[in-house]
Amino acid sequence: MIPLSWYLILSAALFSIGLFGVLSRKNAVAILLGIELMLNAVNINLVSFWRYGDVAQMAGQVFAIIVFAVAASEVAVGLALVISVYRRRNTVIADELDLMKW
Amino acid sequence: MDFLSSHLLSLILFVPAASAVVMLFLPKDEVKLLRWFAFAASLIPFALAVYVWIQFKPDAAGFQFSEQYTWYAAIGSSLHLGVDGLSLTMVLLTTLLTPLALLASFSVSDRVKPYMMLFLFLETGMLGVFLAMDLLIFFVFWEIGLVPMYFLINQWGSANRNYASLKFMIYTMGGSLGLLLGIQLLGALFGTFDLATIMTKWTSAQGTLLGFPMATVKDVIFWAFVIAFAIKVPIWPFHTWLPDAHTEAPTAGSMILAGVLLKLGAYGFLRLVLPLYPEQAKSFAWALALLATAAIVFGAFASYAQTDFKRLVAYSSVNHMGFVMLGIAAAALASGTADARIALNGAILQMFNHGLSAAGMFFLVGVIYERTHTRNLDEFGGLFPLVPVYGGILIFTSMASLGLPGLNGFVSEFLVVRGSYPLLTPYTAISMLGLLFTGAYILKGIMKVLHGPLNEHWAQGEHKLTEISTREVIVMAPLMALILVIGVWPAWILDVINKAVMHLF
Amino acid sequence: MTTETLIWLIPFPPILAFFLIVLFTNRNKALSHTLGVGAAGLSWLGAMIVFAAALGAHELGRTPFASSINWIPTADTWLRIGVLVDPLSAVVLFFVAWTIFMIFLYSVGYHNFGQPAGDHDRPGLPPHGATVEEHGHPQAVPSIEPMYSRFFAFLGLFAFGMYTLVLSDNLLTLFVGWEIMGLCSYLLIGFWYAKPSARNAAVKAFMTTRVGDVFMLLGIAFLYSATGSLSYRDIFQPQVLHTLASVPTPILGLSAAGLIGLLLFIGTVGKSAQFPLHVWLPDAMEGPTPVSAMIHAATMVSAGVYMVIRMFPLISLDPKTMTVIAFIGTFTAIFAATIAVAQNDIKRVLAYSTISQLGFMIAALGVGAYVAAAFHLVTHAFFKALLFLGSGSVIHGMEHGVLHTGDHTVDPQNMFNMGGLRKKMPITFWTFVIGGFALSGFPLLTAGFWSKDEILSGAFSNGNWAVFVTLAVAAFLTAFYTMRQITLTFLGGPRTAEAEHARETPWTMTLPLIVLAVFAIGYGWVGIPQDFLGLHLNASWFHEFVGSTLALAPAASPFSWIVFGTSLVVALGGLFFGWLAYRNVTAPEQDRLQIPLLKNKYYFDELYGFLFIKPAYWFAETFVYQWMDKGLIDGFLHFFGRAANAIGSAVRTYVDLLIINQTVGDGTAHATGWVGRNLRPIQSGRIQQYMLVSLIVLLAVAGLLYYLLVIV
Repeated sequence: MIPLSWYLILSAALFSIGLFGVLSRKNAVAILLGIELMLNAVNINLVSFWRYGDVAQMAGQVFAIIVFAVAASEVAVGLALVISVYRRRNTVIADELDLMKW
Repeated sequence: MDFLSSHLLSLILFVPAASAVVMLFLPKDEVKLLRWFAFAASLIPFALAVYVWIQFKPDAAGFQFSEQYTWYAAIGSSLHLGVDGLSLTMVLLTTLLTPLALLASFSVSDRVKPYMMLFLFLETGMLGVFLAMDLLIFFVFWEIGLVPMYFLINQWGSANRNYASLKFMIYTMGGSLGLLLGIQLLGALFGTFDLATIMTKWTSAQGTLLGFPMATVKDVIFWAFVIAFAIKVPIWPFHTWLPDAHTEAPTAGSMILAGVLLKLGAYGFLRLVLPLYPEQAKSFAWALALLATAAIVFGAFASYAQTDFKRLVAYSSVNHMGFVMLGIAAAALASGTADARIALNGAILQMFNHGLSAAGMFFLVGVIYERTHTRNLDEFGGLFPLVPVYGGILIFTSMASLGLPGLNGFVSEFLVVRGSYPLLTPYTAISMLGLLFTGAYILKGIMKVLHGPLNEHWAQGEHKLTEISTREVIVMAPLMALILVIGVWPAWILDVINKAVMHLF
Repeated sequence: MTTETLIWLIPFPPILAFFLIVLFTNRNKALSHTLGVGAAGLSWLGAMIVFAAALGAHELGRTPFASSINWIPTADTWLRIGVLVDPLSAVVLFFVAWTIFMIFLYSVGYHNFGQPAGDHDRPGLPPHGATVEEHGHPQAVPSIEPMYSRFFAFLGLFAFGMYTLVLSDNLLTLFVGWEIMGLCSYLLIGFWYAKPSARNAAVKAFMTTRVGDVFMLLGIAFLYSATGSLSYRDIFQPQVLHTLASVPTPILGLSAAGLIGLLLFIGTVGKSAQFPLHVWLPDAMEGPTPVSAMIHAATMVSAGVYMVIRMFPLISLDPKTMTVIAFIGTFTAIFAATIAVAQNDIKRVLAYSTISQLGFMIAALGVGAYVAAAFHLVTHAFFKALLFLGSGSVIHGMEHGVLHTGDHTVDPQNMFNMGGLRKKMPITFWTFVIGGFALSGFPLLTAGFWSKDEILSGAFSNGNWAVFVTLAVAAFLTAFYTMRQITLTFLGGPRTAEAEHARETPWTMTLPLIVLAVFAIGYGWVGIPQDFLGLHLNASWFHEFVGSTLALAPAASPFSWIVFGTSLVVALGGLFFGWLAYRNVTAPEQDRLQIPLLKNKYYFDELYGFLFIKPAYWFAETFVYQWMDKGLIDGFLHFFGRAANAIGSAVRTYVDLLIINQTVGDGTAHATGWVGRNLRPIQSGRIQQYMLVSLIVLLAVAGLLYYLLVIV
C-alpha cells in the first residue's frame, strides 16, 4: 500500500501550487482557480487521513463533501463578483482593484 | 385613627416634605394660595407635636412613640424615629417656629413657590435630626437641612448673600466631614447605626482599632463630633459664619437659622457627644467651658460693637448659645450630679428660650428693615412715637433676650449659672462679664432705634414709617406669650426636660 | 381668706393694671389712671390688712406668715418660691404700700390730668403747655403728658416689682422683683426718651446697677449651690449658717458666708447707689419726673438696703465683709454729702442726699446696728419721699411761672431761680420743711432724729469711733445742705419772674405731701429708745418688733449723752449755719461752696469714662470685632479659603491640565495618531499583498510554535 506520506506530499505540492497561483497571478479568475487547487489539496488530506485512520469514523469524508459544497458555492459567488467587477471597472486584474484601502 | 397614633412621628416628619411636593403642582402665580397652603401645611406638624407633647409621659425612661422601618438593611441602618423629653422640646420648638416663619414670609413676593417649598423641606430636615434614632439617618437629615437654607440665603438674601451662603455651607459641611467619618467608624465597628445599640456597646468597647488603642480612637472621634457640632452651635472661635449668614438671610430664614438650626449643634452635644463619650467629655470639659466662656464674653462684646441692627442680634446668638455650652460643659464635667443636671436643665431650656427670643428679635429687625430698607443703627433714632406698638414689642423681646427676671431667659440663664457655678467657678464668674454686656448691647439696640431725638427722615412723606401690621403682631404674639409663660411658670416645660435629663445623665 | 392668700394677692393688682393699660386702655387716659390708682389702692388695702394682722400676730418673728409653692424642678428637688411676712417685711411693706399709693395719686396731678393736650407736644418729650382762650385772651396753661397712660402702666409694673421683692421668702424672687424694678427705673428715667440726656441716663442707670446685679447673681448661685436652698428660713438655720461660716474660700481668706455676703452686697452697692457705683443715681434725675426720681430714689434704692438687712444673719458672719460694708457705707455717707452741698438742681441735691442717707444705713449694718438700719430705712423712705414729691411740687409750681412768662430758657429746677416760694406755695413749703427737718434730724420732733440717733449710738456703742465721727460730720453736712435748699427755694424774696408767678399745685399733689408729712414726724415716735435721757419709758416698739425677726434679738444700744449731744449739735448746727450762709445769697457766684471738685462730683463720671467705658468701647469694637473676629478668625477662614483655591488651581494647572490632559490624555491620542499615520502605507488595498503578509505571519507563528512546542 502506498504510504500516507506520499498522499501528503501530493497534497502539499498541490496546495503550494495553488498558493503560488493565488499570490502570483494577476487575473482574478486565475486567483480563484488557485484557491480551488488549495481546497482540493485539503480534500486530499482529509480523505487520506480518513483512509489511514479509523475508517469507521466518517468525519473526513463528511468534511470533504462540505468542502466540495463550499468550493462550488465559492466559485459561483466568486465568478459572479468578478463579472460584476469587470462590468464596472473593465478589468479583472487584482492589483488594480485597490479601492478598499484607507 | 390607629394609623395616626402609630405613625405620629413619621407624619410630623414627612408632612412638610410631602406638602412641598404637592406644592410643586400648584400654579406658581397664585401667590395667596401658595402662602396659605404652605402655612396650613406647617400647622399640621405643629398640631401633631402638641398632641405628642400632651400624650408624652415624662416619667417613662427611654424613647416614646418609636417607629422603625427598614431603610438600608445591608449596612444595618434603619429609619428609626423616637422622642424623649429632650428631643420633644426641640420638635415643639421647630414645629412652632416654622409656621411663624412662614407667616412672617408672607411679605416675600419674589418666587414664592420655591421659597415656600424650600422652607417646608427645611422643616423636614430639621425635624429629622431631632427625631432620628439612627446615626446614619441623623447625618442624612443633618445635611438635608443645609441645602434649603443655602438656597434661601443665596436666592432671597440681601447684598452680600453669595459670600454668606457659601461660608455657611462650606463651613458646616467641612465640620460635618469628621462627623460622617466618626459615624462610619461606629457603624463599621458595630455593624449597626442604631443609636441605642451603639450606646450600650460603645462605652464598653475595648481593645485596639487599626493598631490604635481604643482610648485614642475615642479621643479622635470625640473631637470629630465636637468640631462638627461646635461649628453648628456655634462655639467661639467657630462662630464667624453666623453673623454673616444671619445678616444676609431673609427674615424668616434668620428666624429659623437662629431659632432652630443652631439648636441642632447643641442637640448633637446632648444626644451624641455626652452619652457616647462621657470620659472624653469629662477630661475635655475645661476646654468646652473655656470656649463657652469665650463665646459668652466675646459674643457680647462683638455684638456691642455692631452698627448693623441685624448683625447685633446675630452676635447675641453667639452670646446666648455660650450659656447652653457652659451648661453642657458643666454636665460633661460631673455627669450625674445634681449640679450637672441643673446646668443641663438650664442649657436645654436656654435652647428653647433662645429659639423664641432670637426668632422674635430677628423678625422684629426684619419688620423695620422691610419698611426702611436699612439696618444701620445710626440711621434710625427716636422711632418710638411713630411705632408705639412695635416699640413695645421690641422692648419686650429685647428684655427677654437680656434675661430679665419674669421672662424666660432669666430662668434658663439662672439655672445654667447655678449648675455650673460649683463645677466651673472661674468660668462662670468670667462669663458674668458677658452677662453684663448683654445688657449693654440690648440697650444699645433699643437706644439707637427707639429712643433719642426723632430722625425726621422717617416721620413723613414717602419714607413715613408705618406701624407693625396685624399679621406681624400675630407672628409675635405666640412667641411673646410663651416668653412670658415660661418666665412666670417654667415648670410645665422644665418638668419634661428635668425628667429627661434624669433619665439620660 | 387666710392672711397667706392675701399676701400672695398683694402684688397682683398693679401688674394686672400694667397689662390692662398696655393692652387695652392705652388710649383712654382717665380709664388708665383709674385702673392704676385703683390697683395701687387695692394693694395698699391688702398691705394694711396684712400689716394689721402682723401687729396682732403672736411671736411673728418665730412663726411668720409664710407659704410657698414648687416653682422650678431642679434634678431631684424643686426650687420653691413663696411669700413671707415677718416683722421686718411687715414694716417695709407698710412704708412701701403708703409711698406707692401716694405716688400713684400724686402722678395724676403731676402729669396735668384734666388739662388740654399740648399745642406742640409729642410723645417722648415733656409737655410744653397749651394755649387756651380765657376771657378772650390766649393764655398758656400746662398741657397733659402725651404718654399719660404709659406712665401709669410703668408705675404698676414698678409696684409689682417692689411688692414682690418685699414679700418674697427667698432670694430668687427677691432678685426677680429687684430686676423688674431695674427695668422700671430704666423705663422711667428714659420716659422722655427723645431727650438724649434722659436716654443716656437711663442706659447708665441700667448698666451701672447691672454691674452689681451680676455679682449678686453669682452670690445667689453660690449660696444656692452651697445650701441647696434660697429660702431665707432655710438659709438662716443655725447649722446652715455655721457651715457657711466655717467653709473657707480661696478669695481673700473669706469664709463662704463672707464671700456670698460680699457678692450680694455688691448688688446692693449698685442698687442703692453706694460708692463706687453711685454715679447713676444723680443722672437719674435727668429723668423727667420727680415722681420717677422719687420711685427709684426713695423706694427702689431702699431695696438694696432691705436686701442687706434681710440677709444680715448671713452677712454678719464674716467680720471682714462687715468691715467692708461699714467702710463703704460710711465713706458714701460723707462723700455724697459733700457733693450735695455744691449742687444747684433741687432734685440733684436730694439725689446725693439719698446716696448719703443710704450710706448711713449701710454703715449701721456694717457696725451691726440691725434695727437702727431698718428704722432709718423706714423713716428715710417717708421723709425722702416727701422731699422728692415736694421738690416735684416746687418744680411744677415753677413750670407754671415759666409758662406764664413764656421764657423757656429758665430752668425750673435750678434753686437759684427760685426764692420766696413759701408765700406762693404754703402747703408745699410747710411739708417740705417737715421733710427737710426730718432729714436733718431735727431733735425730738422728727422721725429722722430718732433713726439717725440710733445709728450714731449703734456706731458709738460698738466702739467704732471712725464711723461715729464720720457719720456725725455727714449728719452735720446733711442738715447744712438741707437748710441751704430750704433757704434758697422758699425763703427770701423771688429771684426771678418765674418764681414770682409760681402757683400752688392741685390737691392730688398736696394730699400725698400732707400724708407723708404726718409719717415723717409721727413714725419716729414708735422707735424712741427705752432709756432715752435716762428716763424709763416703754420699750421701743420698733426695736422689739423688728428685732424679733432675728433668731437672737439684738440688744438696744445703751443711752449715751455723748451721742445725744452730738445728734443735737450736728442737726441744729447744720440747720443754723445753712440758714446763716445762704440767707442773703442770690446768685451762684456768691455761693462759696461751688468748688469745681464738688460741683463735678469729684470727676467720677470722667474717671469711669476714661477707665471703663472708653476701654470697653475699644475692646468691643476694635479688639473683639475688628481684630479678633474680622481679622484673626475670619482671616484664618479666608486664608483657608484662599489656600484651598490656590491648591485647587495648582492641581488644575499642574496635575489636571499638565499631567492628565496634556501628558496622559493628549499623549495617548497623539501616539495613537502617529502610529496610525506611520502604519497607513501597509494598507494598500492589494489583496495579494495581504495574503502574502498573512502567509509570512502564519509561517512565522508556525515556526515559533514549532520551536517552542517541539524543539524546546
